[in-house]
Amino acid sequence: MKFGFVIDNRKCIGCHACTVACKSEHDVPVGVNRTWVKQTEKGTFPNTRRIFQVSRCNHCTDAPCVSICPTEALHTREDGIVDFNNDRCIGCKSCMQACPYDALYIDPETNTAAKCNYCAHRTDIGLEPACVNVCPEHAIISGDMEDPNTEISQLLAREQVKVRKPEKGTKPNVFYIDGDEASLNPTATERSHEYMWGTQTSGVGHYAKYAEQKAEGADLIAMIQELNGHKPSSKEATYGGSNEQETPKKQVEMIMGDANPKRVYDTPDKGILWGWEVSAYVLTKAISAGIFLMVVFGSLLGYQMVETTQYILGGTSLIFLAATGILLIMDLDRPDRFLYVLLRPQWGSWLVKGGYSITVFGGMVTAWLAGIFLEIPILESVGFLGGFASGVMVAIYTAFLFAQAKGRDFWQSPSMVFHMFIHSMMAGAAAMMVFSLFTNVDASWMSLASYVLVGSLIVNVLVMIVELNITHPTEDAKLVVKMILKGRYSNMFWVGVLSLTNLLPIVLLLLGIEALLVPAAILSIIGIYLTEKIWVEAPQRIALS
Amino acid sequence: MAYKHKPSVIEKIAESLKIIPSLHEEEGAQIPRITEPGELTSYPPPEQWDNWEEYEAKGWARKEKKNYSVVPTTCFNCESACGLLAYVDKTTGGVRKFEGNPYHPGSRGRNCAKGPATVNQITDPDRILYPLKRKGERGSGEWERVSWDEVLDDISGRIRKALEEGRNNEIAYHVGRPGHEGYANRVLQGWGVDGHNSHTNICSSGARFGYNIWQGYDRPSPDYANAEFILLVSAHLESGHYFNPHAQRIMEGMMKGGKLAVMDPRLSNTASMADYWMPTYPGTEAAALLAMVRVILQEGIHNRDYMHDWVNWKEYLQKVHPKAEVEFDVFIDKVIEEYAEFTPEFAEKETGIPAETIVEVARGIGKAGSKFSTHNWRSAGSGNLGGWAVARGLQFLSVVTGSVGTVGGTSPSAWNKFKPEFFDKPPAQKFWNELHYPKEYPLAFHEMSQLLPHFLLEGRGKMDVYFTRVFNPVWTYPDGFTWIEALTNHDIMGLHIALTPTWSETAYFADYVLPMGLASERHDINSYETHSGMWIAFRQPVLREFARREGKDFTFTYEVNPGEVWEEDEFWIELSWRIDPDGSLGVRKHFESPYRKGEKINVDEYYQYIFEHTKGLPEAAEKEGMTPLDYMKKYGAFEVEKTSYLKNLNKVADADLKGAKTDKETGVISKDGKALGIEVNKEAVVGFPTPSRKQEFYSQTMVDWKWPEYAIPQYIKSHVHEDEMDRDKGDYPLVPTFRLPVLIHSRSGNAKWLTEIANRNPIWMHPKDAAKFDLKSGDLIKAHTEIGYFVDRVWVTEGMKPGVIACSHHLGRWRRERDKVGNRWATNTVSIERDNGKWTMRTLQGIRPFESEDADSKRIFWSDGGVHQNITFPVHPDPISGMHCWHQKVRLEKVGPDDRYGDIMVDTNKSMEVYKKWMDMTRPAPGPEGLRRPLWFNRVLKPTIDNYYLKG
Repeated sequence: MKFGFVIDNRKCIGCHACTVACKSEHDVPVGVNRTWVKQTEKGTFPNTRRIFQVSRCNHCTDAPCVSICPTEALHTREDGIVDFNNDRCIGCKSCMQACPYDALYIDPETNTAAKCNYCAHRTDIGLEPACVNVCPEHAIISGDMEDPNTEISQLLAREQVKVRKPEKGTKPNVFYIDGDEASLNPTATERSHEYMWGTQTSGVGHYAKYAEQKAEGADLIAMIQELNGHKPSSKEATYGGSNEQETPKKQVEMIMGDANPKRVYDTPDKGILWGWEVSAYVLTKAISAGIFLMVVFGSLLGYQMVETTQYILGGTSLIFLAATGILLIMDLDRPDRFLYVLLRPQWGSWLVKGGYSITVFGGMVTAWLAGIFLEIPILESVGFLGGFASGVMVAIYTAFLFAQAKGRDFWQSPSMVFHMFIHSMMAGAAAMMVFSLFTNVDASWMSLASYVLVGSLIVNVLVMIVELNITHPTEDAKLVVKMILKGRYSNMFWVGVLSLTNLLPIVLLLLGIEALLVPAAILSIIGIYLTEKIWVEAPQRIALS
Repeated sequence: MAYKHKPSVIEKIAESLKIIPSLHEEEGAQIPRITEPGELTSYPPPEQWDNWEEYEAKGWARKEKKNYSVVPTTCFNCESACGLLAYVDKTTGGVRKFEGNPYHPGSRGRNCAKGPATVNQITDPDRILYPLKRKGERGSGEWERVSWDEVLDDISGRIRKALEEGRNNEIAYHVGRPGHEGYANRVLQGWGVDGHNSHTNICSSGARFGYNIWQGYDRPSPDYANAEFILLVSAHLESGHYFNPHAQRIMEGMMKGGKLAVMDPRLSNTASMADYWMPTYPGTEAAALLAMVRVILQEGIHNRDYMHDWVNWKEYLQKVHPKAEVEFDVFIDKVIEEYAEFTPEFAEKETGIPAETIVEVARGIGKAGSKFSTHNWRSAGSGNLGGWAVARGLQFLSVVTGSVGTVGGTSPSAWNKFKPEFFDKPPAQKFWNELHYPKEYPLAFHEMSQLLPHFLLEGRGKMDVYFTRVFNPVWTYPDGFTWIEALTNHDIMGLHIALTPTWSETAYFADYVLPMGLASERHDINSYETHSGMWIAFRQPVLREFARREGKDFTFTYEVNPGEVWEEDEFWIELSWRIDPDGSLGVRKHFESPYRKGEKINVDEYYQYIFEHTKGLPEAAEKEGMTPLDYMKKYGAFEVEKTSYLKNLNKVADADLKGAKTDKETGVISKDGKALGIEVNKEAVVGFPTPSRKQEFYSQTMVDWKWPEYAIPQYIKSHVHEDEMDRDKGDYPLVPTFRLPVLIHSRSGNAKWLTEIANRNPIWMHPKDAAKFDLKSGDLIKAHTEIGYFVDRVWVTEGMKPGVIACSHHLGRWRRERDKVGNRWATNTVSIERDNGKWTMRTLQGIRPFESEDADSKRIFWSDGGVHQNITFPVHPDPISGMHCWHQKVRLEKVGPDDRYGDIMVDTNKSMEVYKKWMDMTRPAPGPEGLRRPLWFNRVLKPTIDNYYLKG
């Protein structure tokens, strides 16, 4: 048995009955939707058309939201329905990064993720989904696609159908008869906050709580600024960080001639869901792992370190690891459930693997320190080697997590592993140099650190060049690159990242003047944060639907 | 296929150590399936409606179950009255949700967005739950709660006094879309007042007049599902009566291969789905239609037999061409001559539609023949001076194709609409209220309701007791400031009672605001011409039915409804009873039970009587072992006729034929001076309710009532015709009438799920026009009407005809700062200033999140509530149909530094001038024999016959 939907655009009249019936069935809060009707106009008067596209969860055969979900809150049932259990959800929003179709949202009532679940509570007792029932045109057809006698099977057999983003390899199970590229393809039109019949002036879903505070008189703009860790224009802030994109006009023209499509209705923008906490956690974890990895490399190369320094560096690694944990929990919409990552694990999720890596790494560093303190060499060795292995994992696992976030093309980069590892080395070396201010770090360690830093900075620049030039075959990723090199992030990238925090530190370090080492290190650390800010945020500005 | 999560070892241990809560508790028994695995059905089986168990979506993770009493009712948003099933939670006693009613023959279990959104209206934190009485000045925004007893005593005493003093014409009930079948009309006649006033003249009178003058029926009922060609001068895939039922059947016809053509200057969703979008210049539609008629006749693809038998062509030849031979072929030749001017090229020049398209569509229509369906609702018929001629042109196409009442054709509405039989029929009232039917408008299809404030301010009369019933003229009507002037003037407005479920701009200016039920809180019966067939549906207060099922004791519905919200029927019975407690006024007897002599009727008995007298219903009920009333309470609807075609061919009853005379010349059969039918092909059939009993191509009525130039279908140039535009000065025709699929006038703003989809109404403009003013989407523009201006944003789109602009009318709702609550999901807060006749309105604040018991009210993410355009329009009563001609000639101007979004200015002195200008276009009664109105025309609440004649 395999349930799916056919959306028959020959019949859909864009009435939004499905939208509202779904809201009613599931009592979906204002601002978010499990199903909605995107509307796009194309053509030139009088050859003009408005395209209605019922959009929702595709109940993918290979559902990326299920793979990334750390707690099995999202799961695929035997009948093909991708359902969720909001009692298990921790509000990590990774599913929203993984879904290429923008199907999920944070329910502001429960602070957990939700989406169309095919009305599993109805189908389990034999009832059609609510949207199917209400549709005046019977333009939404549900049913078992493996039974040749069902209406849906027969339509799929007879009619030409399209799916959204087949290239994602998710095997979607929502099929469109008369699907139109101008609508199916999110980059064919621009997202906006002003459509034909409505405007959006505050955040929804995850951001609804800030709209609530607005109701109580708090300053929303400041709130969102803080949330996103940057100072957006006031307009942008109002929406909770916006999906903004530059349309690849050429590609659209290739597909549709000069149809000049325009998005005229869509649901409110859900905003940037992984904000400064995520960029910051990548930095803190890079420092934590990097410091320890520096110790390991140094030791392997035969550098000696006094015990105090070992304590300080190990302790610092643990402090930054704790900060990493705190940031990760802060990013959850259900921080009260943070333990679920470890205790209700879905082993396929890199959030779980990452969570355990962090935990094990913390344990190993502690063991190492304990081994030194208690003078138990075996414990020290286990901690040392285990810390090394798990430290590498901590440094790089985020690359795999990002890769699991199938919705974000820019993150689907093989060089991301190097990027993460190099950032960790930079962070470790830089942090060690900064610590020379507070503690007596041996000159040999200092020179090792500066060699590592300058080397990793150079590699980092090369990796960035690769990431921004070579590894992105898709349109969405190219848009991100454009945003970074020429768009809204260009200043931050060219000046902030490349010049001031990568090339300048390289120069400063190469000058070999001792007084310039620490400033170079500090700049490098700032550079990591800025880079991660861009790398985390920019891809989230690409509209998924 | 129930899913059950299998916990990992780690999770099991963590749960058993209680580090994390257990999510793997034993679940109770599963709810049994109602179908085989893999199969899905639409609705719970009715035998389980009394006790239906299903999983609660919000508690799905824990397999939470809920028990419901499933109670049918009908929607009260638009006029379609689609079926709804209310899911009454047996634990909380509240309505959890609404779904469609599969037993409703019109809507067939399906709904538009407004159906399920009914639940928002019920839980709207701003709704009115108790009777309220004004505390300060009228319009002061100060209210106090009063008891129903106090309300009833006060109002009934006042009405009694008026009746005793013969001031019957000072009592009026002014209704928006009624949603009932004759209930209030019967009450008014029971009181003996000519007190019915409706909204029809701002809605559909134009189209009604055009249909009526042809066939004596005022509305079309297309059989879209079987049509081969559908021509809409409307947007029935998204709006209009009857949106959801019609949209279902239009698409059914199209999927079977039927073609759709749509005339609309704006790319409506309907136009977007069409095979032919014909963006006509507003008001020129009739030119295209007559050109199509001409093509069909010239090419000989008309239905000769139908026209021969059913058009009054002989009368036409005799009256217009007395020298010509009375031969059908001569008639066709003469008609082609009559319309010689209407070449496709002329039509192209007028409408902007290419001549080839007009010919192609005409041929498609001709080819479809008797399978040609059409509709015109509001739209062109209600936009233009002479808009009624559009419907007349459309019906002309139905006539030439012989598609009147055929399978796939267009029937008269009355053939598909059920008329209930009442337990008591009060006699005709002895009054003619000239405030409703003034002499100037003898042919007006309905009450001249849009002129009421002008008449009152002009001193033509006064209102002592004035009910506005789910009716919001201050906002919906043109010239709202003149309404405010009339409503706040105590000399002409004695007592204004607003019967409404929710706050409205009109209710702010009432003396009493009385909460009446929403869809699931009121009684009505409904029957509409949604398709070929006939049905009735029962709107019932679902909590009353739930209480009955649960065996609870109560007298009045307001005891079980939320707050003290009353369903209307009982209100009218109680009020009528108190008007005449001892029966001395002759009112009481019309409210006495047919089942318990001399006692007051109750609402169950009222409907019991109707259902017992509904064709086929008692039998259907008996099969299920139920009374007809119980059957309707359970199923909510009943199909009276499956299909209804060609009812003009129904035979005249033998009993009626006895003693009847047949006019040899015309074939009209009559008895006692009343026409009964017509002889066609030697059969005595009922025909159509026109003087000729046929389709009247030639209308003697138009001649008799001083409009000989419109004796046959004509194209009338609109008041927004291109000739009227000074383009260099920025003149544009504004189409202000279009609806959105998710909203319905001012009734739906309190539904959050609808308002979040649509909350503003920018002016649609073609890019070329936008370029002239250097505008892009979102920029402001100032639109000057004849009496003032409004400032709105523009929406630049290729979906708009160049040279024409359009603005949807649902949005731009407002409240003043003093109106503390009231529809806050959808209202801007405005300030209103008055300097004699000069009124200004400014938006102080858009829509804002607010605190309430509904957490969603804090999550309002929109702030733009749109602009109230109607209030800047003067009245434009069509001199013939009486329809308000909505389209406006506006002069566009770039905004100045002091103009703000939403600014409105109106000079009501100018309103009065425009009103007088249009009044001057009328040709007043009397008509033949001193009549006020043609006797064969329908009229709401027909008074006694002597009242039809002007005295003196």
